[in-house]
Amino acid sequence: MKWESIFFGTLLSITALGQEDDLFALMDIPETTQITYATFKGTKIINAQSNETPGEGVLQYIISHRFGSFSNDYFYNFLGLDNAQIRMQLDYGITDRLNVGIGRSSYLKVADGFVKYRLLRQKSGAESFPFSLTLYSSVFYRGARYTDGVDHYLSDRLAYHNQAIFARKYGDKLSLLAAPSAVHWNLVPGSSDPNTTFHIQMGGRYKLTNRLALTGEICPSSNQEYSDGSRFYTPFALGVDLETGGHVFQFHLSNTNAMSDPLWMAQNPYNSWDGSLFLGFNISRVFTVKD
Amino acid sequence: MKVHLITNAMKKVLLLAFFTLAQQGIAQQYLTREATLSFDAGSPLEDIYAVSESASAVYDAASGKLGVQVLMTSFQFKRALMQEHFNENYVESEKFPKAQFTGTYEAGQAVGQLTIHGQTKDIAVPCELLETDGTLLLQADFPVTIEDFGVSIPGAVSDKISKEAKITLRATLKKR
Repeated sequence: MKWESIFFGTLLSITALGQEDDLFALMDIPETTQITYATFKGTKIINAQSNETPGEGVLQYIISHRFGSFSNDYFYNFLGLDNAQIRMQLDYGITDRLNVGIGRSSYLKVADGFVKYRLLRQKSGAESFPFSLTLYSSVFYRGARYTDGVDHYLSDRLAYHNQAIFARKYGDKLSLLAAPSAVHWNLVPGSSDPNTTFHIQMGGRYKLTNRLALTGEICPSSNQEYSDGSRFYTPFALGVDLETGGHVFQFHLSNTNAMSDPLWMAQNPYNSWDGSLFLGFNISRVFTVKD
Repeated sequence: MKVHLITNAMKKVLLLAFFTLAQQGIAQQYLTREATLSFDAGSPLEDIYAVSESASAVYDAASGKLGVQVLMTSFQFKRALMQEHFNENYVESEKFPKAQFTGTYEAGQAVGQLTIHGQTKDIAVPCELLETDGTLLLQADFPVTIEDFGVSIPGAVSDKISKEAKITLRATLKKR
């Protein structure tokens, strides 16, 4: 009986010694759930929205330019600067998931407003989830005067864009995105022309260094022409992202020069094979207005 | 006859000794998973401060071994973007998820190895350990030179980020 006790006592002591040996294993923090961050650097890849939104209480200002095409008297137009298009955007993160904003694009004097909401977020660790899903909805108002002599209703000037943005970050370098989208115009040239067209935005980025990344996007459409003879081409863009503190600089080459979604997605008249390529940039600056 | 040299009384003492040893072996270890670990790498131009309240710390009184570990993504910043940059651009949390210290405590000093951003350095820093009925208070304040751990600070922001991060550790460890 007593020898048994001694035996177990010894066993306990040995166990205790064993525990001391891997003392540092005790502090190992169990795997937690981590929400994937920085799938993309900016809230846009180039023209397309990314799955990202600014954080809660963050005000973001984006200024974008698209310079004139190489095929359009490039040097006469001072490297395209003379016929540059401009877009300004101001948006705010109401919560970490909800983002609202307004914008103004110079081509056809389009004003817009949007709501963006992160419905699902990619997660790793204890409760992992494979992708992010962000919903984006926007409305556009054409401010440019009509030259057809017809008295247009306000509703004629409106167009809409809704999309579901699926994104996934693979490791720390590669992120890919696919966004099924629908663009609706209240007014199209002919009765046989579709008011609603479907598009799929596909894009990605590859990080070269911690602050420099390559980006690319392409957006095929369900419709390539209108009955009035206009022909549309698949928009695409290639660029680099450069991040410094609160700024993201995006420089790119694309075959589009309009920046409001319905125009560059559904009515892009530029064929890159004709030399219709545009240099451009987006610069974003964030201000934390609420800590 | 020799067998009788170990009397029943002696057996009892031996038994007690074994149990006491065994008990102590366990009771002398202290652990927490709620240590507060913060750092300040700010400058007059930018307030850069983050705190984690889920660091773990372990101490073995018999050997003096001391360990501290923290998940990089558990550091909370005031600004979400700063937190993202910290994880994505500076400490590369995806590649190097944890920072840790392993070493020993002796005479007001923690001596051992500090690993941050996958790089390990020998350090000896002042450290306080106070035992009060079953709990152990652990405190340490020391600077860490950011470059020593291979975390590069780009020129454009070098005057906004301090070269040294001031680390503050406050932990209440409980007997296991």
